[in-house]
Amino acid sequence: MKIAPPQVWRNKKFMYKLIASKCRKCGNIDFPYSPYCTKCGNSDVEKTELSGKGKLVTFTVSYQSREGFEKSLPSIIGLIRLDEGAEIIAPIVDTEIDKLKENARVEATLRRVYTDSYNGLIQYGIKFRVVEE
Amino acid sequence: MMDVYANAASIIPIDRYYEYDLYDLVIESFKNLEQQYDTSSRGIDLIIVANAYSQKLNSNSLIGPKIAKKLGKTDIPSFRVENGDASGGTALLMGYSAIKSGLAKSVMIIGVEKQTDYPSKYFNEVLSTCLDEQMYYNGVTPHSIAAIMMKKYMSKYNVPREYFANWAIKMHQNAVENPFAYLRFTVDLNTILSSQIVSDPIRLFDIGARADGASIVILSSEKTSESIKINKIESTQSRLDFSPSLPSIKTLRSKIEIKDVNRTLFEIHDSYSVIAAIMLEELGITEPGKSLYNLDSLNVNLSGGLKARGYPGGASAVYQLSEVYMQLLGTFKGKKITDAERSIIISSDDLGLVSYGIELTR
Ligand SMILES: [Zn+2]
Repeated sequence: MKIAPPQVWRNKKFMYKLIASKCRKCGNIDFPYSPYCTKCGNSDVEKTELSGKGKLVTFTVSYQSREGFEKSLPSIIGLIRLDEGAEIIAPIVDTEIDKLKENARVEATLRRVYTDSYNGLIQYGIKFRVVEE
Repeated sequence: MMDVYANAASIIPIDRYYEYDLYDLVIESFKNLEQQYDTSSRGIDLIIVANAYSQKLNSNSLIGPKIAKKLGKTDIPSFRVENGDASGGTALLMGYSAIKSGLAKSVMIIGVEKQTDYPSKYFNEVLSTCLDEQMYYNGVTPHSIAAIMMKKYMSKYNVPREYFANWAIKMHQNAVENPFAYLRFTVDLNTILSSQIVSDPIRLFDIGARADGASIVILSSEKTSESIKINKIESTQSRLDFSPSLPSIKTLRSKIEIKDVNRTLFEIHDSYSVIAAIMLEELGITEPGKSLYNLDSLNVNLSGGLKARGYPGGASAVYQLSEVYMQLLGTFKGKKITDAERSIIISSDDLGLVSYGIELTR
């Protein structure tokens, strides 16, 4: 994956923060932010920052490498239901695969995602870790 | 409104073609086509190329006109459509619409994908560009999305891991009889359950076998003795639903008629075994949570499917249509359906977001 500095800058709204939109008509939450509700098409949406707290619905352990992500293998990819109701797919960190359980409480944490060895850029992003209740 | 017919179809075996580039694949398929259909004397008004990844995997853009030129049809208007692995379905809809509306009398649909030049880590990178940006930049692959759907399916219907092996077993049985198939060998439960884990619980045998291929179909308003009628092509789309469900397929069910299941040939987009199961269920062909226990009673993917006939990316639907064309004419060289008058093709992208339902009759 090639990354350009302007991309890293633009991506901050979903890589560094959980900026979402909440539809004033149907209540649907879209993450990343969308100026039009992806459920009902309404343009009357409110910008909101999600708490980053939620529940791990389920997860997969991926052994399949993608260029630039070799070092993160095996990686855990989770389906997370945030407390606000939105579902997102994101990497899970700081956990032992054998001990990870569905329905665990999780919270967002900023981590390194990818290093572009060609120009030395580092892309950070939001991953999730298990928290004790 | 014009009626639309498929009047000729050509395929080459799905394989890893080290000697052939994108254009060579098309030329091979075109040579086969020319044996049954003289495109020069009968005329082609428009060429539509279905291809998903040529810009990334082959460093080639503007491939429609380039392909036309290589086939000696430099002056015939040509373009490429890209809609991920559903590109073939999109191309067929475009060609069908052009004829239906009277804009063209005869359209050549070419599906081509050259996927085997790079190691899997780069290939996965390319496939992942189909995902939404937040997933793409976080290193997620489509395999992981399918794995999450599979886990949700397992818990929803309380089925074991073994359940999904039924798809691969059946597809490989079908592919053994198909001389154009990529993986012409049978597999047993043990082989499948001990194969490489890609994204748990998805193993190698749960995934369509991607390789190179090219297929060509001639669509026309002219009815001949070699015609198969395309009754309709419906198009739907939706977003990911981890319930798990494929809403695009559910919507198709209300737009195409599923009837007389025993005498209908189904060709579905089995990018993953779990996607195959959900597709059959969303179409109402089988009971939820049980499809893969009932495969022997269905005429589904007699070609061997993406799993074993092979997965030619954006060319998939063109392969599906070519095979169905041969099946309904009785010239298919693999496992045959004997008294089918009807076929339903489902073309999708790998995660079933964009779907096409194509209804054909003899
Ligand atoms: Zn809404």
